Amino acid sequence: MSILVVLLSLAAGAYALAVIERWAVHGHLSLTGPAWAALALLGRESLLARKSDRLFFELGPVLLLVAGLMAVAVIPLAPGLIITDLATGALFLNAALAYVLVALIMAGWGPNGAYAMIAGWRFLGQFIAYAMLIVMPITAVAMRAESLSTVEIVTSQEQLWNVLYQPMGFILFVVAAMGLAWLPPLDLPDATGELAGGVEAEYTGVRLAVLRLARMVIILALAGATVTFYLGGWLGPWLPPWAWSAIKILAVAAAMLSIGRYMPRIREARYLALSWKLGISLALANIFVVGVIALVVPI
Amino acid sequence: MTVQMIFLAFFGGAAVWFGVVVFRTHSMVRSALALLFSQTAIGAMFLVMQAEFLGVLQIMMMATEMSVMAIFMVMFMMDPGGMGKMDMTHQKRLSLWAGGIGLLAALLLVWLPDWSPVALSVPGAHEQAADLGRELLGRSMFIFQSAGLTILTAMIAATMVAIVPNAEQGK
Repeated sequence: MSILVVLLSLAAGAYALAVIERWAVHGHLSLTGPAWAALALLGRESLLARKSDRLFFELGPVLLLVAGLMAVAVIPLAPGLIITDLATGALFLNAALAYVLVALIMAGWGPNGAYAMIAGWRFLGQFIAYAMLIVMPITAVAMRAESLSTVEIVTSQEQLWNVLYQPMGFILFVVAAMGLAWLPPLDLPDATGELAGGVEAEYTGVRLAVLRLARMVIILALAGATVTFYLGGWLGPWLPPWAWSAIKILAVAAAMLSIGRYMPRIREARYLALSWKLGISLALANIFVVGVIALVVPI
Repeated sequence: MTVQMIFLAFFGGAAVWFGVVVFRTHSMVRSALALLFSQTAIGAMFLVMQAEFLGVLQIMMMATEMSVMAIFMVMFMMDPGGMGKMDMTHQKRLSLWAGGIGLLAALLLVWLPDWSPVALSVPGAHEQAADLGRELLGRSMFIFQSAGLTILTAMIAATMVAIVPNAEQGK
């Protein structure tokens, strides 16, 4: 039952996110826009490049969607409303999202096109930059909750949300999450205007529809992870828990979609240098500070 | 128990099958990703055996490692896309002997020692993660830390050895 509820809210969330993205990018709010766009994609011819690696070309978008769905499976929307409450939930989220990389490499390599292939491998470089900055802030979150279970991480924030307890981790995690979902200014793998759409360049029709849907699911999963780890999940006064989850997740997703629109795209080498020299040092400092606080003042 | 056995056998079979695909394909990227799915199947075997932490960790780590390996294979091999139908096997006689001896050793390891009876109950997943943490940060800390450092050194050394010094660069 809760699986069905989570999947339905995921579908609604993905649609809402598509509306918000349209609003953030093109500046006009249209509630039916994404539905028409999706119908148009389904009706369009789905081209296949000559001499493509057919298997990877077909599997790429599907694997991306599966990775997103697996990540959603461990995000609690309300007490009891979670697909599976794993004891290793926070780690499982990482494991699922690691396959975003594999899917993008497949989708980039598959169509046998230069732009797509460069974009796919570029994402591998981007992964090297963001990967540690996803895992290390989560380590600090798990340290406070003394558990990797996402439900216990939410309940550990009853006194004080993690965004106030470990603000540095929050900022690092959100930036890394934007890298993982290849949102601007970290949209190196689809770099519109530079790589002609990159990974998406050779996809049309139904396959492109799956790819776009998968991207929405991944953004939602990451917004859900941010809310679960730092913004107290379903916790909040007056409203029912599920409403708090919905409001927070959509707000975080909307923020992630719109922040980067006003920044220039960052260069791969610079992103790597910043992540490793500054990001990892800060993440280590965050773990140390949280460790000290957890030992000295147990909140 | 039987359902568990069936799933275990299924994922074991998948791991072996993807292992075979690694050598049957001509494309470097396919080969690397086949190895990835072979390792993922082993991760799924851990999950079936209720070793949740190890399974999830295996599934996570391999995605990264095999993708990084794929780009190295593409960079350093002459026919990464497999358009020229490159053969993935080489030194066949040596490999056959090594593979045969390896298989024999594995079979001996399965049959000869006196394995204690199959555990019917396992500690809960929370407890397993905690136990593993105590082991890694206690008794086995030195071994794991030195292994990590050794692997890092080996990676840097291997990359440096693989880069052919360009005469032009020196000028």
